[in-house]
Amino acid sequence: MKPTSMSDAEETTMSQTTKGAAFDRRSFFKALGAGATVAATPALVTPAQAVDPGKEETKARYQESEHVKNFYRTNRY
Amino acid sequence: MARVKFLCDADRCIECNACVTACKNENEVPWGINRRRVVTINDGKPGERSISMACMHCTDAPCAAVCPVDCFYTTADAVVLHSKDLCIGCGYCFYACPFGAPQYPKVGNFGSRGKMDKCTYCAGGPEADLSPVEFQKYGSNRLAEGKLPLCAEMCSTKALLAGDGEIIAQIYKERVVKRGYGSGAWGWQTAYKETIAI
Repeated sequence: MKPTSMSDAEETTMSQTTKGAAFDRRSFFKALGAGATVAATPALVTPAQAVDPGKEETKARYQESEHVKNFYRTNRY
Repeated sequence: MARVKFLCDADRCIECNACVTACKNENEVPWGINRRRVVTINDGKPGERSISMACMHCTDAPCAAVCPVDCFYTTADAVVLHSKDLCIGCGYCFYACPFGAPQYPKVGNFGSRGKMDKCTYCAGGPEADLSPVEFQKYGSNRLAEGKLPLCAEMCSTKALLAGDGEIIAQIYKERVVKRGYGSGAWGWQTAYKETIAI
């Protein structure tokens, strides 16, 4: 049916546009949700791992240098 | 392999707080944090005792046991260190530690604690040894320089011992054998008589 006035035509167009946009938006969020679930699945099944500080960080730094030997010597009296 | 330790000879400590000051200066410790402090028992009374306290670098550290992000690690010479990059400032370690060693700068917004700070035994942190980043986050790394923690090195009465646990225990035993039980300070008995229980 041909619209009787300009305002009716605008209303019809807007209504269609709104409906279309709503559908698109919902589809978009649905797809986004599905994608996020798929993306999150491997993260959920991967076991948590403690941080390994590594050999370089945990190596012994204490050295019995001359400086340290002097400290021991002077503490004996 | 040496197992490093702190040992405070309470009969020698005179509560001068030089260890506290030395630590703050050497490591540029932030405001509001004392990595080391001196605790005095029976302050002002005859027979008072002072002891210098910091992180005791426990073998089975309770701070590490409760940390939710597992930011603590123990080095091969038994120094308990932590990563400030991983720390979330939850405060669990503060509640777990029997010595009150973990401290927080409390400089963040909304009462947040900020990254935990504690005594590192002057051994830096997980960053490269003697790097500027390591110094900025954790303070100096004297162990890597072949030295010992400054608090112990500059103790005027040699009360605070640091180094290989077996050697410093031997030094302490020698002192006790030489001076007997109680203080070896000259004039102690003159000042406090024989009746003072120590």
